[in-house]
Amino acid sequence: MTPDPIKAAFDPVTLAIPLFVITIIGEIILGRMRKAKAAYEARDTATSLLMGLGSNIAGLLTGGAIVAVVIWVWQHRIFDIPMTAWWAWVAIFFLEDLTYYWFHRLSHERRFWWASHVNHHSSQHYNLATALRQTWTGGVAGTWLLWLPLAFLGFPPAMIAIQKGISLVYQYWIHTEAIGKMPRWFEAVFNTPSHHRVHHARNPRYLDANYAGILIIWDRLFDTFIPETDEEPPRYGLVKNLGDFNILRVAFHEWIGIGRDLMTARSPREVLGYLFGPPGWSPDGSRETSKTLKAKWLARQEAKAEPAPPLAAE
Amino acid sequence: MDAVVLQLIGSAVAVATMVGIAAWARIPRPCPPLDEVRAREILAVEYPDHAIDAVWLAADGAGAIARSGDHALVLGRLGDSWVSRDLPWERALASEIRGGRVRIRVDCSGAPRLDLAVSGVNPWPPQRPQDLAA
Repeated sequence: MTPDPIKAAFDPVTLAIPLFVITIIGEIILGRMRKAKAAYEARDTATSLLMGLGSNIAGLLTGGAIVAVVIWVWQHRIFDIPMTAWWAWVAIFFLEDLTYYWFHRLSHERRFWWASHVNHHSSQHYNLATALRQTWTGGVAGTWLLWLPLAFLGFPPAMIAIQKGISLVYQYWIHTEAIGKMPRWFEAVFNTPSHHRVHHARNPRYLDANYAGILIIWDRLFDTFIPETDEEPPRYGLVKNLGDFNILRVAFHEWIGIGRDLMTARSPREVLGYLFGPPGWSPDGSRETSKTLKAKWLARQEAKAEPAPPLAAE
Repeated sequence: MDAVVLQLIGSAVAVATMVGIAAWARIPRPCPPLDEVRAREILAVEYPDHAIDAVWLAADGAGAIARSGDHALVLGRLGDSWVSRDLPWERALASEIRGGRVRIRVDCSGAPRLDLAVSGVNPWPPQRPQDLAA
């Protein structure tokens, strides 16, 4: 029987929901028994899980239109890629993961897409519940457009959906402090809890790093890889953390910030900067971006390393 | 459609269960009330380029306001973590007090207001220089 190229035969994320529930409860219990490193704050957990639930509902609202566009692009494809060919699955594994890397990088380095993704980083905790703190505005932000070239190449929509789901499920288990480091070969090739802790860290040295989905090789290739070091444990959350657990604030605060800034913009350059500049961009450079925070951190490190200047001869 | 509604209801029940278990487990990070030393440690991480002149501690230890030149650096507790913001010192001094709390308003959609407890012993704004721990 030929698989349906439009409608996926299964949704990896839906299938994994029982796994999510069991492992979150397991992580909490292991943390309680002090058998694993895990911290849970009940209101933070509620926020993360409600963001996950809300993300599902938001997906229902925008999903139909997105699927329609993907199907339309696939109908104008340049190749016919069969879902039954093993090489097609190998190819989409790598191509989807590469697409994810650039989606993720864009989502951190440009404010318009950061506004949609920021909620995922808004917890000061790093546990399996944090993994489910998902966006409500991804459909509106349009980052799904980045996957359209796969459909245009000829990968069936069902195949793209399945591989995206596999990637999302893979990324779930790496949101934990319970696992230290994986074997060296695994850390070299795959995204791991250690690599992703760095990604969620707000320490200046760790900002804008480790964008990988499944394979960390893309970060190594595109020079965005930073290893976790024992000397500086990650501190999680945002450079400027949120002031409460209100899920509406979590979902929309950066969009509101963009709106406020646009009201004060005095030129097309400022409009573009506020929308598509790096998060923290401002016309006069008075706000901090990842780049300026890192530069200041580096300057402090260099100042520490430099020997004190000799005292003037008396 | 029925399947979607059923899935959402099931998810809501699962969310409530997990939050309940997280509350039962009581495994937040330790976050004791601030003293001056701890407040300075946190501020040193949050504002590494600011020299702290003096620190005012909230009455319940769930926050602090530090003076750094013309700036006020504010810490407020959120669950088992801390949130920081900065604003001009004069604006911090002029902040409204209502219901035993000083309401620090900040021009930021992520944390527009931080409320810190005040008391007769520990008033805001500080009445005497010694109310700010230098």
